[in-house]
Amino acid sequence: MSDLANRPQEALLYPYREDPQHSRLGKPVFRPFVQVSLANGGTSTTMLDGLIDTGADSILVSDLLAEQLDIDLTAHEGETRHAVGGRTMNVRYKTVALRLHPHDGEIHERREWMAQVGFVENWHSYSLVLLGSVGFLDQFTVTASRFAQAIAVEDRDAFDRRFGIVLAG
Amino acid sequence: MEPIRTDFSGYEGKFVAIDARTGKIVLADENPRVVLEKARGRNHVVVRGRVPLPEEPVHVGLG
Repeated sequence: MSDLANRPQEALLYPYREDPQHSRLGKPVFRPFVQVSLANGGTSTTMLDGLIDTGADSILVSDLLAEQLDIDLTAHEGETRHAVGGRTMNVRYKTVALRLHPHDGEIHERREWMAQVGFVENWHSYSLVLLGSVGFLDQFTVTASRFAQAIAVEDRDAFDRRFGIVLAG
Repeated sequence: MEPIRTDFSGYEGKFVAIDARTGKIVLADENPRVVLEKARGRNHVVVRGRVPLPEEPVHVGLG
């Protein structure tokens, strides 16, 4: 399927990226973005900057990407309303293929998995992809360090190997 | 690791795509569909989103 699928143990490293928002107190804003694309059947999007958001429960994307993927959102798997950025938005979920690309790699280099994605109506913001817990953070071990100014994405068992299995209570 | 810097000045209100290796803006248009289509299948080209106008508030997330 991909060059990276045969190297599951290798961490993918991504530098923090400057955000187009204006500076915070005179300093640039850097955020943890990784490069992803979405695919549906034989159709795929271009590479997109996806913002890693540990506070988000799911993967949310602009419904513009449903157009790109020829997805009919009237045949959705579930519909709900989410509050994003102080606004309430309609979200329709569909299962599609997600692809993670290396920072400096080519578009054919990828790790691919299936995930339920929420397509947000009329959401065309500073980024078109928000990578939350279900569908992304349950697929990988993600380490973000603003100190190192980088993000490391490893296979999902890396956390247990490093820290042991964490038991409740 | 050095963060990727991008000079967004002059692109306010437009959707942009950048070269993932350098941070340089390589595509820009007021219509996001144009940027998504032009970027499709191109190596190292990553669609970011819309550059806000100067008067827009700073969001803590995507907004």
